[in-house]
Amino acid sequence: MTGFAELLFSGLMSGLIIGLAGLAVTLVFGIARFSNAATGDTMTLGAYGALVGSAFTGSVILGSLIGLAAGALASVVSYLLVFRPLQGRSPISSLLASIGLAFFIRAIIGLVFGHDQNVFQLDIVRPIKFAGIRIQPNDLKFAAVAISTLAVVFIILHLTPIGRRMRAVADNPLLAKVSGISPRPVMLALWSIAGAVSAIAGIILGMKTVVSPESGWEMLLPAFAAAVLGGIGHPIGAIVGGLLIGVAQELATPFVGFTYKIAVSFIVLLLVLLIRPKGLFGRSEGVR
Amino acid sequence: MLKIENMTGGYGEVDILKGIDLTLEAGEILTVAGTNGAGKSTLAKAVVGLLPRVGGRVLLSGEDITKVPAERRARTGIGYVPQTANVFSSLTIVENLEVVEGVKDRKARMAEMFDLFPALAGRRRSRAGSLSGGERQQLAFARALMTKPPVIVLDEPTAALSPIMADESFSRIKALAGTGTAVLLIEQRARQALEISHRGAIMDGGKVALEGEARTLLADERAAELYLGVGH
Ligand SMILES: Nc1ncnc2c1ncn2[C@@H]1O[C@H](COP(=O)(O)OP(=O)(O)O)[C@@H](O)[C@H]1O
Ligand SMILES: [Mg+2]
Repeated sequence: MTGFAELLFSGLMSGLIIGLAGLAVTLVFGIARFSNAATGDTMTLGAYGALVGSAFTGSVILGSLIGLAAGALASVVSYLLVFRPLQGRSPISSLLASIGLAFFIRAIIGLVFGHDQNVFQLDIVRPIKFAGIRIQPNDLKFAAVAISTLAVVFIILHLTPIGRRMRAVADNPLLAKVSGISPRPVMLALWSIAGAVSAIAGIILGMKTVVSPESGWEMLLPAFAAAVLGGIGHPIGAIVGGLLIGVAQELATPFVGFTYKIAVSFIVLLLVLLIRPKGLFGRSEGVR
Repeated sequence: MLKIENMTGGYGEVDILKGIDLTLEAGEILTVAGTNGAGKSTLAKAVVGLLPRVGGRVLLSGEDITKVPAERRARTGIGYVPQTANVFSSLTIVENLEVVEGVKDRKARMAEMFDLFPALAGRRRSRAGSLSGGERQQLAFARALMTKPPVIVLDEPTAALSPIMADESFSRIKALAGTGTAVLLIEQRARQALEISHRGAIMDGGKVALEGEARTLLADERAAELYLGVGH
């Protein structure tokens, strides 16, 4: 029973990371209308930004803010240089470009930082026991950061004018235009938010495990699976999808082994696409 | 107010619009009728700036806006109710109105809209996707009116409505023109539309086949037979 509870908790923790990455995927899909394969590598970039920032400032928190800014900036720059020129073309062009961008970011990171694994210098804290399960206090902090990030994104989307415009563009881009909404600020907001959210996911992932040039790339499949499971373009769906996949991965580990748990994402992705392509929360109208 | 000169254009290589000239004065209602596929909606899109390829000119109050992007046309003077997908389904009624840009004194304007469309007032926080066809059409109309546009383009605003609601809609349109708004009204219910209109144009194959005073068109045998449906 304790074993199960610990797996569940650990699944929810990875689920939050997957959910954040899935949120970035789903936001970009909902508004810019393509699957951004560079999401994982934006996560990696955020994690390296945070590593460098922490080394410079001596503070993991300040470092993480630098990583977040690096992710947001890289994301906006990739919009301006790659995705904006492709706007209005087929979504396949943007998808292919994002795959290229993903390789490019990873190659640059490998070139600059090498391929060794890096770790964040976090204080070692003894696990606490809660309801019979062992919990790393750092995990609680990570969860708090992830949940606050989600809260901020939802506040932006639902309670601010730019967020309302983003939802309008996601809902019906042509109607948004004839309602006087300029695409430019909406797109800049989208890419900053998606970049920042990816970076936070990458930083938490890096702090929980290690940072290597491949760490974000390996999260891409779970992130896509979470977005599709939740109903592509549906922000809450991506979070719920992420949590479900995180838990499913952990619970599957005793049976399939650590190395194959990534297969869970693939199976989920395939099943959803085959059986219920609009996902758990997908609507047939509205956000597509 | 609105002048369309030798307008051509379409979605790809093919010209759907094949040289259209129309003018619309302030306070005037111009009905555009014609069979399905005649190019009425395409004309509407060209006027509001959504058609990918357009030739000729569009003038708004004498100013050439042919190259002005749709979002700026919307902010500066052209309201538009598309034929389909004309509300943000996943946004609430209030959000549908709040999201419109180029609105002066938004609070007051929203209050006016809720006075004009009382059915919406009771459901401010409902998602537009949950509205009935008639309520949706009202919301679409209210959204387009938020900026107090001098010109409004309505693409088959009564298509999904019951006869009673259509009547109501026509009297709203008439009242709107009474306040000086120029209305480009695309309608299937051509007879009824012409009855409240000053002028009418009948489109066929991307061209204006027949144009004139609404009264004349209503009396015109040929127009009646070809385009307005015989009988009622
Ligand atoms: N989005 C589109 N892409 C390509 N062709 C279109 C599109 N919308 C309409 N058309 C074509 O343009 C022509 C005119 O259509 P439309 O303007 O919608 O006619 P109407 O509104 O008079 O029924 C039709 O042949 C139609 O097939
Ligand atoms: Mg039409």
